Amino acid sequence: MSISLSTRPQVHHLLKRGETEAIGDEGLRKGASDLGPAILREVISMGENKRNTIAVMAVLLFGFALFYAGTDGFRAFTAESARTYDINQSQPAFPDVTLEDSKERTYTFDEFAEGKYVFVTFMYTNCTTVCPQLEMNMAQVYEQIPNDYIGEDIVFLSISFDPEHDDPETLSKYRTYFGSNGETWRMARIHDKEELNTVLDKLGVIVIPDGNGDFTHNSAFYLIGKSGHLLEMMDFTLIDEAADEVNRLLESEEGA
Amino acid sequence: MKQAFYGLLLFSFLALPPVAAVMESIMIVHMHMQMTLLVLSGFLMGRFFQLKFPVFFKKWNMNGIAGILLFMIIWSFWMIPRSMDDALTIQVVELFKFSSLPFLAGVALRDSWHKIGARGQYIVFGFFILVFSFMAWIYIGADNQICNNYLLVEQQTVGWGSLFFGVILSFYVLQVLFIDQSQYE
Repeated sequence: MSISLSTRPQVHHLLKRGETEAIGDEGLRKGASDLGPAILREVISMGENKRNTIAVMAVLLFGFALFYAGTDGFRAFTAESARTYDINQSQPAFPDVTLEDSKERTYTFDEFAEGKYVFVTFMYTNCTTVCPQLEMNMAQVYEQIPNDYIGEDIVFLSISFDPEHDDPETLSKYRTYFGSNGETWRMARIHDKEELNTVLDKLGVIVIPDGNGDFTHNSAFYLIGKSGHLLEMMDFTLIDEAADEVNRLLESEEGA
Repeated sequence: MKQAFYGLLLFSFLALPPVAAVMESIMIVHMHMQMTLLVLSGFLMGRFFQLKFPVFFKKWNMNGIAGILLFMIIWSFWMIPRSMDDALTIQVVELFKFSSLPFLAGVALRDSWHKIGARGQYIVFGFFILVFSFMAWIYIGADNQICNNYLLVEQQTVGWGSLFFGVILSFYVLQVLFIDQSQYE
């Protein structure tokens, strides 16, 4: 029973010490009417305090549950982080789509990967904001991978989601800006709209055309494992971390 | 009771699918207008609930603290970028938006605002100014998408809108604190 400090002395004044505990809440309420309006008011206010506390607790608990449920246990405050979390958990298979690269070669993703790790990004060449940054960072990861692994255990792939504009000619020009050699790091488009959408959907890449030839889209490094499943989706701004992670995987493979 | 009727009218209007679709297509309208209006509709309808269940409000929201907390929690929840995205992609979340904002936040605000007294109101204002500033900082400053369903530029608009709200609220609180209101009565 919670009695506020201000009411306690008055209650004790009317009831002898010990009596309050002995008769309890129920008894107080029953006896209250006999004791006159003063004590009645006190008893009511005691109940109020209790209820106020309960109500506040209930609201706080509800709020906690709401935020917990709405953010996957305080892990994901944006739909993007929720997606990352979800995708890293579920590790979807990379769909076997047909790619057309900067040298006008056509092959499927599996033919290109051939059981190697594939480091993938999604971009479009008209992009002036995040994509150059993304590709620049990808180039830095590429440089941090020891030469022995490149082409043998891991290949790099930049996929354009703007196939209408990004033809092989455009891509072959674009790749030179970032030091992509067109072999162990290729730039390619997925011509088939349906296939493209499947990939974007599977890997959680959201692309919104703004109507002026530009797109708003989310960016990340995607590391596809040897079995063709997504291993990790990594923050593209953390270059060293991504490179370390890739190298760690490659080295552990060698030791095994 | 007239108020409650207007509240219901406003709520029904907001809930019309085409109206909701148009409002939700623009981020700042979704966040700062639709949601605010939903709370307002609940605020107006609150009168009905107060008259219908006076004992409940008296019993469980005696000093207004529980109610105002509920209001702040619900409102804060809808300021999370993810909640907005989820409302657009998951039907149940959208339903929860249309029920929680008016019937939990709006009604609770109506019942609590006077009960918490001037000091409580300052705390609420302070909380709002803080959250709006935080949102302005996040939404203007972020150089990648926080909301997947909206363009980057819309996100920045929301940031500026929040800053505007925050500044207006600050001015309001400052003038209440430092200007002697009685001189103008």
